[in-house]
Amino acid sequence: MAKHDSSRRKFLKGVGIAGAGAAIADHIWTEGEAKEEQQSTPAATSGEVKVVLNVNGQPRTVQIEPRTTLLNAMRDRLEPAVTGPKLVCDMGTCGACTVLLDGKPAYSCLVLAIDAAGKKITTVEGLGTTDKPNAVQAAFVEHDALMCGFCTPGFVTTISAYLKKNPNPSLDEVREACKGNFCRCGTYPRVFEAALAAATRRSQI
Amino acid sequence: MQQQAQPSPSPKPKKKIRVPRVVNGVEQMVEIEVDEDSGPGWGPNDKHRLLNQRITRVDGPLKAAGAARYTHDQRLPGMLYARILRCPHGHARVTKLDTDAASKIPGVKAFIQAPLTELRFAGAPVVAVAATTPEIAGDALRAIKVTYEVLPHVVHAAYAIKPEAPKVVAEENNLQEKGKNGDPTKVEAAFATADEIVEAEYTSPRIHHACLETHGMVVDYRGGDSATIYASTQGTFTIPGDAAKELGLKESNVVSSVEHMGGGFGSKFGIGTEGMLACRLSKQTKAPVKMMLTRYDEFVMAGNRSAAWQKLKAGVKRDGTIVALQARQYRLGGIGQGSQAGQPFIYTMGDTYREIYALHTNEDSAIAMRAPGYPQASFAAESLVDELAHKIKMDPLEFRKKNLRDQVYHRQLDRGAREIGWSRRNPVAGGNPGPLKRGIGCAVGIWGGGGNNQCKVDVTISRDGSVVVAVGTQDLGTGTRTYMRAIVAEEFGLGIKDVKEQIGNSKLGGANPSGGSTTAPSLSPSVKDAAIKTRLLMAQRVAPLLGNAKPEEVAFADAKVSANGKSMTWREACASLPAAGITGHGEWRSDLQARGVHGVCFAEVEVDVETGFVKPIKMVHVQDGGLPLNRLTFESQINGGMIQSLGMALYEERVMDAQLGMQLNPGFGDYKLPGTLEMPEMVPIIDDDDKREAVIGVAEGCNIPAVGALANAVFNACGVRVRDLPITPDKILMGLMNTSTSRA
Repeated sequence: MAKHDSSRRKFLKGVGIAGAGAAIADHIWTEGEAKEEQQSTPAATSGEVKVVLNVNGQPRTVQIEPRTTLLNAMRDRLEPAVTGPKLVCDMGTCGACTVLLDGKPAYSCLVLAIDAAGKKITTVEGLGTTDKPNAVQAAFVEHDALMCGFCTPGFVTTISAYLKKNPNPSLDEVREACKGNFCRCGTYPRVFEAALAAATRRSQI
Repeated sequence: MQQQAQPSPSPKPKKKIRVPRVVNGVEQMVEIEVDEDSGPGWGPNDKHRLLNQRITRVDGPLKAAGAARYTHDQRLPGMLYARILRCPHGHARVTKLDTDAASKIPGVKAFIQAPLTELRFAGAPVVAVAATTPEIAGDALRAIKVTYEVLPHVVHAAYAIKPEAPKVVAEENNLQEKGKNGDPTKVEAAFATADEIVEAEYTSPRIHHACLETHGMVVDYRGGDSATIYASTQGTFTIPGDAAKELGLKESNVVSSVEHMGGGFGSKFGIGTEGMLACRLSKQTKAPVKMMLTRYDEFVMAGNRSAAWQKLKAGVKRDGTIVALQARQYRLGGIGQGSQAGQPFIYTMGDTYREIYALHTNEDSAIAMRAPGYPQASFAAESLVDELAHKIKMDPLEFRKKNLRDQVYHRQLDRGAREIGWSRRNPVAGGNPGPLKRGIGCAVGIWGGGGNNQCKVDVTISRDGSVVVAVGTQDLGTGTRTYMRAIVAEEFGLGIKDVKEQIGNSKLGGANPSGGSTTAPSLSPSVKDAAIKTRLLMAQRVAPLLGNAKPEEVAFADAKVSANGKSMTWREACASLPAAGITGHGEWRSDLQARGVHGVCFAEVEVDVETGFVKPIKMVHVQDGGLPLNRLTFESQINGGMIQSLGMALYEERVMDAQLGMQLNPGFGDYKLPGTLEMPEMVPIIDDDDKREAVIGVAEGCNIPAVGALANAVFNACGVRVRDLPITPDKILMGLMNTSTSRA
């Protein structure tokens, strides 16, 4: 069964955890952060490193092991947590953890948090709020493109990014754009409707 | 001081009725007593202001913004993360468990061994660990050393049935007879009168619920005498009792919370083994423990839909009358009993005889999955019916009508046929020219969907005008919150936004678990009853202010309360209420719900006869359900049923390795779920010719006929009858090869 467990730690061990930490630290820490770290230097705890993540426009500092995924860092380590992106398959197939890295959709379960440092991370929470939804979020509600809602953050994020790239998509292009997102309740037809409807209000994405 | 006893009101006349009660997701019928005359009804289905309209769901904005809070999103101070080590063998005993190395890993806090001595399937829980991060919990699992005594296993039904096969349970046959029904001698005689006979075997594999939110819970216990359990469950009230037992607390001191939940489909009742382990870890560490199954765990130990193996033989007369059926049905539930509806399912087939068996394998127990036992039986029955029609060269739609007594199906079949364009269907299977061949098929479905008397609802109106409807029920994504508000808002002439709901907490009024499509028919009558009673309480308060009107004359409409030509705004009327507001308590009323739904599905597919690839083109599902509480969410349920059926028909299958005894595709990378690229055009149709002024559950009914419809469409398209699900390209190519060989 071990082979089914995430082996990110093994991977990092392969390249040498200390080496990886040092190499990564070079590009993830701001100069100020690094200085601060040198001055305070707490006792090293299980090889954790400090990372600054730019989440929804806010710099967020988090102490994590290098193997921690961006998804787990946001959900389990950031305080307060960012829980819009969901952990579902943990292997980059279902899209529920989709975030935007510098505007491009990425599965945050496949991205190490340390690799996301220095990038602009946008989650579903950063696209709009309950009171001020973006056009995709509003269309999802209007067209009932959600049931249990667990896949919804991923779809909303994927489609919001896609409509910026292709503001006037066909139905087939929408299908293609979110083929990396799974839904189990069976919302797909209405997800398509919502995406096409949101495209007509693309100034609000 | 003794109070004088009040004269008790004369007892209301009662009647006894039978209602479904759900145990572990499966309906059982029980008898209860209800009032014979219980109050005003819903009124005609087309006369509602909010019900039977298209109301966007009230929790939609939260979900779309990523702000809805699920169990998986809970994070508490000092919380530990739990993981489970699972048995890698199909059948084994643990002889040694060594956690020494694992316990030395910094951050590892506790271990609890699973209570099983004999592990009867690969994936059975062995030991659970709690650690400060999920990553460290994973390290601990890898550091635990387990020595197993490996026992012989069997995971395939065809082998399990053989006398020499390893026994799943020692000294017990893998094959267990579960019932015989009918007279085999009569059936033999009836076969003699048939013009044609079809004899075939239909198999459907184990498939998975694949809830996006895995099973699990967060146990918030920090020592002391109380605890809160955040659970991803279909039954708020299925949690506290068992959790209290594990924690050694009084049940009344354990509260369960189910704010939002990410899918269940029949698989989430009670605390489960994972919940039991989580509670024990929490009890031991006196710290909150989060135990959410990994996706792998979810596949191998969180349940599945029973596989099925059905041997059917039916005889038909040339005029289209089915005269005899003989069925041998194997429920393949792994170590569990499995489920499969008895044949001839919905059809009238003259003289029938069936034998039902449970055939055990070393796999985790099948559990309820959206219409337990029905999609499997439906697939076989609908394929058989299609084969019979083909044999006597009769239109399969007309053939169905001939053998279906219930006229509702006739009406629905006609409606569906118009919608899909049945007249375009080529009666010659595989008869369309070219390599891309289209075909159309249909099938019918049935379900109960009645409610029971478990919901206790409060409606409270405060002096500031706020209205709250409260009950401990759970919203699985079916739109429970939304129709609760709509029922109350309609009663008071208010808007959806004027009412707030409180659900998902065991401190609130009792509610039934969401299984068997019983939620809406159990809950909505209680909500309606609470609303009616609260309305009367309010009318009594405000009537004196409206020219001394009689309470029953007070009208509530357009956010106004009026009588005798006088009118007050809602706010003014509420200002006259006592400081504590007023609360009406609602109980279930059998007359506001009903039981028995019908559905038909039509499917059009395109089969590439060069590659065997099946492309779904269009699906139509016509479904009745009495009073549709919300057309928007009803249609979404229909879509969901069609899509899950599409998965069962064409894509989904647990693949087991005979030698290793383990699942080969326990992840979304290898277990094929229907995705965006597979979606056909979908037409969900609410059958408004159903005039019953009663609420009926529809989730299961929508999930039954589509598998048969798709299988029949594939046959019509290319002439290959695939009797073994899922209908994958290899089976079609093999079928085409056999067809051409037999022609040559």
